[in-house]
Amino acid sequence: MQIVLIGITSFWAIQAFATSNLIEFPFIYVLGNSISLSIDKLSAFFILVINFTSLTGLIYARGYLKPYLPKKNSTEIAFHYFNFLWLHISMLLVVMIRDALAFLIAWEIMSLVSFFLVIFESEKKETVKIGLKYLIQMHIGVVFLMIAFIIAYVQTGAAFSFDGLSVYFTSYHPFPLFLLFFIGFGIKAGFIPLHSWLPHAHPAAPSHVSGVMSGVMIKMGIYGILRVLSYIHTDLFGSGLFVLIISLVSGIIGVSFAIVQHDVKKLLAYHSIENIGIIGIGIGLGIIGLSQNMPVLAVLGFGGGILHILNHSLFKSLLFYTAGSVYKQTHTRNIEQLGGLIKKMPKTALFFLLGALAISGLPPFNGFISEFLIYSGMFQSLQTADLSVDIILLLSFSGLAIIGGLAIFCFTKVFSIIFLGTGRSDKTKNVTEVEPVMIVPDFLIGFFILLIGMGSFIIVQPLMNVVAIFTDNASILSEMTPVFNKISLSSGIFISIIGIIWILRAWQQKRHQVSVNDTWGCGYTGANPALHQYTATSYADNFAHISSKLVNVKKEYRDFTSDEIFPNERSFETHSSDIIENILVTKPANKILEFLNKIAVFQTGNIQHYLLYALVFMIIIGLLTYFNWI
Amino acid sequence: MISLLLILLSSLFFVGIIIQTKAKIAARKMPSIFQPLSDVIRLFKKGAIYSSTTSIIFRAAPIVYFSSVLIAALFIPFGGNVGLLSFYGDFVFFAYLLAIGKFLMIIAAMDTGSGFEGMGANREALYSMLVEPAFFILAGSIALFTNNVSFQELFSNLHIVSSLSYSISVASIYVLIYIALVENSRMPVDDPKTHLELTMVHEVMVLDNSGFDLALIHIATWLKFAIYGSILANFLIKNTWSIYEQIGVYFVIQIAFAIIVGILESFKARNKMSKNPQWIIMLSAIAVVSFLTALIVAHKIILN
Amino acid sequence: MNFLFIIIYAITLIYFAYSERVKKFVWLLSVQGFVLFGMVFSSLKEIEIFDFIFILTETILVKSIIVPWFLNRVRKHNGLKRIHEPSIPVFYSVIIVILTLILSFVLSNNILNSQMHTQFFTVAFASVIFGFYFIINHKNIFSHLVGYLIIENGIFMISLAVGNTMPLLVNLAVLLDIVLGILVLGVFLNRVGNTFQSDEINQLTELKD
Repeated sequence: MQIVLIGITSFWAIQAFATSNLIEFPFIYVLGNSISLSIDKLSAFFILVINFTSLTGLIYARGYLKPYLPKKNSTEIAFHYFNFLWLHISMLLVVMIRDALAFLIAWEIMSLVSFFLVIFESEKKETVKIGLKYLIQMHIGVVFLMIAFIIAYVQTGAAFSFDGLSVYFTSYHPFPLFLLFFIGFGIKAGFIPLHSWLPHAHPAAPSHVSGVMSGVMIKMGIYGILRVLSYIHTDLFGSGLFVLIISLVSGIIGVSFAIVQHDVKKLLAYHSIENIGIIGIGIGLGIIGLSQNMPVLAVLGFGGGILHILNHSLFKSLLFYTAGSVYKQTHTRNIEQLGGLIKKMPKTALFFLLGALAISGLPPFNGFISEFLIYSGMFQSLQTADLSVDIILLLSFSGLAIIGGLAIFCFTKVFSIIFLGTGRSDKTKNVTEVEPVMIVPDFLIGFFILLIGMGSFIIVQPLMNVVAIFTDNASILSEMTPVFNKISLSSGIFISIIGIIWILRAWQQKRHQVSVNDTWGCGYTGANPALHQYTATSYADNFAHISSKLVNVKKEYRDFTSDEIFPNERSFETHSSDIIENILVTKPANKILEFLNKIAVFQTGNIQHYLLYALVFMIIIGLLTYFNWI
Repeated sequence: MISLLLILLSSLFFVGIIIQTKAKIAARKMPSIFQPLSDVIRLFKKGAIYSSTTSIIFRAAPIVYFSSVLIAALFIPFGGNVGLLSFYGDFVFFAYLLAIGKFLMIIAAMDTGSGFEGMGANREALYSMLVEPAFFILAGSIALFTNNVSFQELFSNLHIVSSLSYSISVASIYVLIYIALVENSRMPVDDPKTHLELTMVHEVMVLDNSGFDLALIHIATWLKFAIYGSILANFLIKNTWSIYEQIGVYFVIQIAFAIIVGILESFKARNKMSKNPQWIIMLSAIAVVSFLTALIVAHKIILN
Repeated sequence: MNFLFIIIYAITLIYFAYSERVKKFVWLLSVQGFVLFGMVFSSLKEIEIFDFIFILTETILVKSIIVPWFLNRVRKHNGLKRIHEPSIPVFYSVIIVILTLILSFVLSNNILNSQMHTQFFTVAFASVIFGFYFIINHKNIFSHLVGYLIIENGIFMISLAVGNTMPLLVNLAVLLDIVLGILVLGVFLNRVGNTFQSDEINQLTELKD
């Protein structure tokens, strides 16, 4: 069923890329209005991304759900697949429908089914709680979207759809309405400070679901923002600056939080926030380029941002799948208990490494290409920009450089703690490689990561088509082709030199003695090698130290006292909490709870008391009417 | 092509000059200038010991590191000559290429499962993360100044001078020298001659490497020095000079750079480990000042 | 040529944010005095002997020699700690000083007045803002003196910027105030140091009754 769906929609999408005009046909009739599906280049791009990730997710689920088969009854499993199918369908509908009401319905279906997907392990209380949190936040988002659509509809009287927005935006200042849309879509996308559902929902969900959710579902928020933007043509500067600043903040803070996490999926979830930030930086710069009449910045900004959507869907789903494989084999997501898995799960480890290198934006992998586009857009525009834009560019490329560096910091940590060194607990003892069906999606994704990274010239043409929606000068991208050729050439030389030296070394080492021995331990061989290894906490410690205000790591330990000559067993624990979530969500919620608890004094359960309340109420009403106060 | 040859040539004696300078200042007998070279040749003649904890990552890392530095050398121009692989925006590629080598070295250090190497690895990761913005801001201010975005064009248009552009050059050279020192794990951040593992950064990461791998790592370090030296030389060499003059000046600058590094190492104390991040971020701050100056030169900030 | 001194001045501000040692503060103040002299000297159109002597006294003599010397004496007399921990980590202070500089450069770009030398505003604003930040950031009364002097240097440059219309008289008055302030505070600090052996502000506030 899902395969058929993928087939049909991909065909439409490719057709949309091939032909120059919009594909549009009626879909269903609601209350006498026909609602049509329309696929332009932007929708087509998203359809391809959605289809690919859903396909890999589906394959992966076959293997991942196997241990659950005996535990869950078949209805539950069927319901899960049903929801997965509907998530796919609803995402496709979201990118194809222009009518506002139908769009909101599809959006709502998407939130609802993903809620069911998240609470797959509903026997855990925590999971249900997280799921509810997710659902509530999604509904807040929908409210904002609905208000935004209604405002546009009421103010202009044009069609109640995306196309109707263009009328509004030509006659009113676009920023207030854009802000509403941004909040609505931003909750889905996970921009800081709207992100607080994300780091909870992803770890709770099964891995194929988190892969799809992080890979494509949060991109629906980006899609919405892009779609709205495509109707705005005036007064863009404010919106662009707003998007850029929020994105820079999301990028830097997202990755900082990621560094101090111990839960691998939570860490990846924070990385999604960071990558949404990078996408947002691209888009924000694109908007600023449009408003300041700087075609290079506009095209390369949008190009980099949009390409990063695809790239992120690839490597993030890869990372979630491989992290899921580790979870499946070791039953823990806490990386402090892992270690040395590369010897036991070599394929998974190498694919995780591939994803880690790609997400850190390193050549010759795909993440580099999109970051390179954004960078070169910035550097090429420095000269033509005016002062304020130059300062903005300065802040954004230093921000992007910091994000890149922090991503490297984070992924060296997570990869080496999970896969390298010696196992840190018994959970790593009897681990084996996962079954082939769970590796297949990794191969598929890995192929595309390398394809985009090494053969980046092939993406120029499709990308140009998508970017053409936002700006008229998309052909600037074709000037990047020779550059991409050079990048491919350099990457090729890079890899071949690695190969040559590898052969040289093999030749050299054949003639000399190569032996295997213990790691040098400063002459100390007594202890278990796993004990004096670096842990994730200690690796992140120097970063946590300089960003202590932000990441808020709490250490729990007992100091040595002076009379303690032979130290007893002691424990050391660290916890980090999301400071933004604390301020924005947890604290207000606790305040409200406190208030409600106080009110609960009145709920005594005693019928006489309730009658007394009714009497008091009646007397008050009586008095009020008597004195003409109401 | 010529720049690659020059980099390779100067990398042979660069570290030799540093140790000679240090020996001279400490009034020790100077080792031969080719002492590091013969050390490496001896390493090539040796076998290797691998730790039983390590995996393929540990074996791949030195090679990837060395290749990344070698490819990075191909982007460096020389005077009017283009770097072999020069393209639009190549310094972004340059920075990220060095980063991939570093990524592999860091995880290779973690691969040994040794506490010491973990320390080195996470320090290296933090410091190279912090130094990245300084490099980009510097590149940005030169790009602003010359309207170009590849190494080659950055430098070939640099010499349209006013008195202000000298001050940009001075600030840039200052920042660049220190970036080079951070990237190569030299003095104010890391002491290559320290005796204690707890205070090392780069040295402790390669504790378990031996033989061929260690030789590659050493050569990569020389190359890195020579690359930064050539970038510095490009600031000062003018296209209009004849090729022999250019080459002569190039070597003078490389030697001077090596001596400066030697002097700095002899007289400067190593920073406290916890003070390193703020020291490195200060480089970015100075780079920002040169960016602001470039804005004045470009008449974006109009002052009277 | 002016710009060279402006850049050096900006870099001294960064070093102020970066350094933690009290001795370094005094040294940097002295450097700033020389830089200010350079600034004034290079912006003079013709050299009149009286002006020249006046500037020489004000910048080199007072700012670079007398005040630092006096501060050093106070420091030694009270046996101050070598390092004064700021309440905001140095790492962030450096970032804040960068942002201050950017802000101040952009701000001075927006002043369109042909009467003024807006080039001096670039670091003058930064200096004043940073001086305030410096005082807020440090708990120690000695560092507060340093902060006041940074602000004073900023005001000196503002007076240079509007120099065409306002004579150096204004600046002279400010300088006199500051020097007197330094003297009074220094003597006060010496006395307090003699009696209480502490220079922390929060302990001094307990003396209010």
